[in-house]
Amino acid sequence: MSNEQDINQRLLQQSSTFNSQVIDDIQSKAELGRYRMRGYGTLRQRTWATFDDLTFIPSTLTRIPLEGYRERCKTKTILGSRYAKKPIELEIPIMITGMSWGALSFNAKVALAKGAAKVGSSNTTGDGGMLPAERENSKVLIYEVLPSRYGINVHDLLSADGIELTIGQGAKPGTGGLLLGSKVRESIAGQRDLPIGVDQRSPARHPDFLGPDDMRIKIEELREATDWKVPIFVKMGASRVFDDVRLAAKAGADVIVVDGMEGGTAASPEIMQEHTGTPTLAAVCEARAALEDIGLYGDVQLIIAGGIRNGVDAAKAIALGADAIYIGTTALIGLNCNKPIYTEDYHKLGTEPYHCHHCHTGGCPVGITTQDPELMKRLDIAEGAERISNLLLAMTYEIQMLARACGKANIHNLDPDDMRALSLEASMICGVPLVGTNKVFSDGPGWKSKIGK
Amino acid sequence: MATIDCFDKTVRDVNTKLRDFVSGGKNDIHIINPESLHNLAVAITKAANITIDGSVGYYCAGMIDGPTIRINGSAGWGLAESMLSGTVRVNGSAGNGAAAAIRDGTVIIEADAAARLGVSMKGGLVLVGGNCGYMAGFMGQKGTLIVCGDVGAGFADSMYETVCFVGGEIAELGTDAIIEKPTEDEYSYLSRTLTLHLPTKMEAPGFAIDRFKKVISGRKLWNFDNQDWETWREAM
Repeated sequence: MSNEQDINQRLLQQSSTFNSQVIDDIQSKAELGRYRMRGYGTLRQRTWATFDDLTFIPSTLTRIPLEGYRERCKTKTILGSRYAKKPIELEIPIMITGMSWGALSFNAKVALAKGAAKVGSSNTTGDGGMLPAERENSKVLIYEVLPSRYGINVHDLLSADGIELTIGQGAKPGTGGLLLGSKVRESIAGQRDLPIGVDQRSPARHPDFLGPDDMRIKIEELREATDWKVPIFVKMGASRVFDDVRLAAKAGADVIVVDGMEGGTAASPEIMQEHTGTPTLAAVCEARAALEDIGLYGDVQLIIAGGIRNGVDAAKAIALGADAIYIGTTALIGLNCNKPIYTEDYHKLGTEPYHCHHCHTGGCPVGITTQDPELMKRLDIAEGAERISNLLLAMTYEIQMLARACGKANIHNLDPDDMRALSLEASMICGVPLVGTNKVFSDGPGWKSKIGK
Repeated sequence: MATIDCFDKTVRDVNTKLRDFVSGGKNDIHIINPESLHNLAVAITKAANITIDGSVGYYCAGMIDGPTIRINGSAGWGLAESMLSGTVRVNGSAGNGAAAAIRDGTVIIEADAAARLGVSMKGGLVLVGGNCGYMAGFMGQKGTLIVCGDVGAGFADSMYETVCFVGGEIAELGTDAIIEKPTEDEYSYLSRTLTLHLPTKMEAPGFAIDRFKKVISGRKLWNFDNQDWETWREAM
């Protein structure tokens, strides 16, 4: 009966409840005795409203476009103008998000730093402290202060151009970081003051504050430590975004980073990546509404992160209210993540190029999320840096192209009325009219300036 | 001795003046009327003797590297958090998260410490003359934590390599914490340390060094083991 010809195609029907992925999940857990862990972020079919549910409506007769290859379209981005004596000035609005040395290889961290510096952008340290080579190769470096405080060092903090107080991340809000023992090698263990080879589970809460009232004092501590020179960011995973952003702004943040549900990670329980958080599109809308609600929109800058793939996603986020964009997974893909090279090593991990989410194993075939010196050699720092600078520029050109087409001489002048919704849900979430109706369905996120009304 | 009077001053004013004194080479600095200001003496990165006469608010002496800071009063949350080196001594009590995430140096609290003492500490010495609250030593990575009195529930939970010594009662051990009898070398270390930092404790009636218990990690949470359900059901 095992003959292929004997299979009755009409009876080959898979349960939609217990489909092959569900069966695999159940059987994996029956084998492991714990929840599943992996990297990369959500793999689910995106059935919720995303940036793809919006379209730009460029100039025709009601607006005048700018010449695509002639007229200037500014991209300079200022962050931290609320309280910092030295706000961060970037040439472009695309920044590299915090990813730890530990999760990433040394070569990846330095390539990201060099690539971002070349085009006047920034990079961010991560859960594990600052690498000297990262500081040396960065133009603008943001220092993360995380719940774990691994590698915390006042001298590194004082050398940074901005401080990011991290409350959580979009891939797994409400939980701490993970670094499995295969990646906790001697150098990483030394940097983090951990025993070699432990499955490192970072705390989910900061050790010295709990709620927003305490955080206000914590932010003041960071300002006092840095003589009020550099901006203080507060980064959060997108959960109750409207309330959380208002609390962070009132606690004194210069810049708020909201990391949406599509955000990536090097290791996390799979259920956190798949079933927690607010999608990035909704997050940016709620975040802007929150700042408007307390009269701080424009005074407190907003950085949006979480599954931003290209300049189009970035432009839409900027039009909805973001001042700048963080990329993480996209930057790693730019460094060759999931590229069909070294295919045999993907197979060793039980996967294929384009399907790999095995960052947690430490066996990254392209040398990015590994601490194996031989694998790391596959990522040449100079080549990687070039790819990152190219990617950042290409994304910026995409944003400029859309902005010029919409008649904007500054990408930060993009606004929600430059777009229309392609789905009812996007119209409801973003407060922009549904195509073909010129109507906004529901009140959107509660913006003060209603669009299309 | 240089003096800074906090009366009617903001913490910005006080810290600016303090940094000026320290960078100007003044070694003995006296701060008066602190009025529980938050964030006093944070991120001082040079050696200096700083005495604060009165109680302080949150994060006093946070992120320091090198100075010796004495607080003649009590301290709020996050005392000396993330310090790299130096000494911080409080002759009163300290609030939550004292010595959180310190990487080295010494923190001495002569009276009591509240919850989460030495949480995520990565090195150094934390010494409490009195009692401490719940979850002390949580996720401690390295260093030594000594509490002469009683400790609250969840003590030494989920630790890596911090070594704890408790002179009084332990309300409840945290997950994966185990008690051992100190070695003779460790008793000698405790005697030397207490003699150096809290000599009056050693001289107090009824004090006995052999009452101290040693608490360390059982190392069962370092790597997942699906056969160890008893330990992991508390931690997963």
